[in-house]
Amino acid sequence: MIVSPTFFATLGMDMLYSFVIIVTSLMVYFGTKELYELSNHKGIKYFRLAFLSFAIAYFFRLLIKFLLLSLNIRELMELSTQLIGVVSLWLFMYFSAMSIFYLLYSVMWKRWSGKDFILYIFHALAFVIGLIVTFTPSAKLYLLINLFLFLFVIVIVLFSYIDSKKKKKGINLYGIYLLLFAFWIINITDILIPSFLQTYQLLIYAISIGIFLAILYKVLRKCGGS
Amino acid sequence: MRDILSIVRDNHNSIKITPLIRKSNLSSQRFKEYYGELSEKKFIIEIINKNGKVISLTERGHRFLEKYKTIVSFIEEFEL
Repeated sequence: MIVSPTFFATLGMDMLYSFVIIVTSLMVYFGTKELYELSNHKGIKYFRLAFLSFAIAYFFRLLIKFLLLSLNIRELMELSTQLIGVVSLWLFMYFSAMSIFYLLYSVMWKRWSGKDFILYIFHALAFVIGLIVTFTPSAKLYLLINLFLFLFVIVIVLFSYIDSKKKKKGINLYGIYLLLFAFWIINITDILIPSFLQTYQLLIYAISIGIFLAILYKVLRKCGGS
Repeated sequence: MRDILSIVRDNHNSIKITPLIRKSNLSSQRFKEYYGELSEKKFIIEIINKNGKVISLTERGHRFLEKYKTIVSFIEEFEL
């Protein structure tokens, strides 16, 4: 293993960042456990699964960062030659995509009522995205996939927003959801194309932590002691 | 569903089925649906005591009533 001077600093920062996000996501997941067990509400179920997937994805994100740094790999494609790299990358992409899809489903499940197959499509899509990213060495393709994911989310959230406005329902959270989706996709891009957003990494980390903490604050304020 | 649970609780946690249907102001068909769901979710239990068969809230039923407002406001807050 080649240890560069910035190895510990970079890894330390990534570990701290991942630790905060993983703990925050797990606090959301376990903090809403009782509400789900009592209500069996589908929206709460997928909301919790989204944050569990975020926690798992961030764990594999950290593992990939560790592998990239410890093996002194500059391009993610080189990681595809190692088994642990292949497995970590696939799991990271699968859970990344699923976290976005679960959160989307938790907001949209009433409108998609009776169309349970949508969830299977999401699983299949996440599976395929994982395979493409793991076995296709192309930075452009990674960007294209993330762009597709983001546009897909924007269109659905926009429809939902317009619908909520018509029904005069609360619309305060759509902004946070969109920010969460946007920064999660930036986080995926950051790991897939390490050189792409290097200059803004600290800013991205700070804003991502801010978004997760804002959601955790809202969850804890609502759930209280539960 | 919450109304049915509240009625049971407000009757010293013991009420017969006929007054429960009457107090719930539901059609028998709709009551049957809700009752089945409440039993399935283990919020209520049928007990046989000296008065015959009565309906009581389970611990889970009590907890659900306590947390009902939190659940509803959580669902609204997160647009779920």
